[in-house]
Amino acid sequence: MRKSLFTICMLLVFSPGFSQIKANEKFVYAASYNMAGLMTQLAQVTMETNTVTTSKSTLLHLSCQAETFTKWDSFFKIRDLYESYVNPATLKPVMYKRDMYEGGYTKKEKYIFKPDGKTINSTVKKKNKPETRKTFAVGGSTQDVVSILYKLRTVDFSKFAIGQTKSFIIVFDEKEIPVVVKYMGRETANAGNLGKKECYKVSISAKTDALKGKDKNLIWLTADAAKIPALIKFSIPVGTGQLTLKSASGI
Amino acid sequence: MIMRKLIIVLAAVFAVIGVVFVFLPLGTLGLLPIGLALIFGFIAFKMSAEDQKRVPKVVLIIAALSLAGVIGKEVFIKDEVEVDKQFEQKKIESEKEAKKDLEELDGLE
Repeated sequence: MRKSLFTICMLLVFSPGFSQIKANEKFVYAASYNMAGLMTQLAQVTMETNTVTTSKSTLLHLSCQAETFTKWDSFFKIRDLYESYVNPATLKPVMYKRDMYEGGYTKKEKYIFKPDGKTINSTVKKKNKPETRKTFAVGGSTQDVVSILYKLRTVDFSKFAIGQTKSFIIVFDEKEIPVVVKYMGRETANAGNLGKKECYKVSISAKTDALKGKDKNLIWLTADAAKIPALIKFSIPVGTGQLTLKSASGI
Repeated sequence: MIMRKLIIVLAAVFAVIGVVFVFLPLGTLGLLPIGLALIFGFIAFKMSAEDQKRVPKVVLIIAALSLAGVIGKEVFIKDEVEVDKQFEQKKIESEKEAKKDLEELDGLE
């Protein structure tokens, strides 16, 4: 659990294209975990976007937060904050931040993507351990786990044949992980306040032990211009779960 | 006779587990032990002679109350996230710190 359901979900949702992501979007999800065959709601996951301006540039701030429902806080409190500052046109990350609190365990990470596009300066601080700093090389198209989620929404799945795949690379825990997204066709899914929507069903596989099973990690993206993740199902070594969209605004 | 006792023990164990689930935030998962407590409690009640029905009856009452507790929690207690001021403050500070770092990055370009 410590590797966090949220983290897994982040791994699931991410991929590539040209940005049609707007500022001030807000998607709220209910995260559930399968316990003895019953989906039990654990937490609320919120994905938000806003614009951040510096003296020289304007960036898109993508944030994903996971908070356990109040009734769970006394048993296993989660307060995770994942953020990415990206170029609003290309969604190329400039900075990625992760601040997690899961049942008393804490971890903070910051990746600064150097302007050369091929190097990351990372700072990591885990509970009861000294802060570590590292510089490591990455590919020019490497995304962080937050921005890849939004990149996925820029892929034009309407031109994909069933079974067609697209590859990406993400950086997570200071390692590059290849991610393959497979288009699996169209299906109708419940999209919270948007009602039932026709969706692109995509399967995510990553070369990591965090995800299990073939075509068990799935995302349903609304088959419209916004491509909102309406439903996310994941399979991890300790079980399965899902994120269901409750509300979407600012689209 | 041994069978009756075994069924009463099973019913009592599941009833106790059911009571625990009423206080845990596990939602309808509590219906599993409560359901089993009701089934075993009912069987024990039927198997018992008139003067031996007291224990199965108590188990059935506990299971029924637990059932009401689980269903009541599901109906009346919504899944909500309370405003966590500390977390909200953390988000504000994180964005402030990020802006500072991004300004420094601008200086490097």
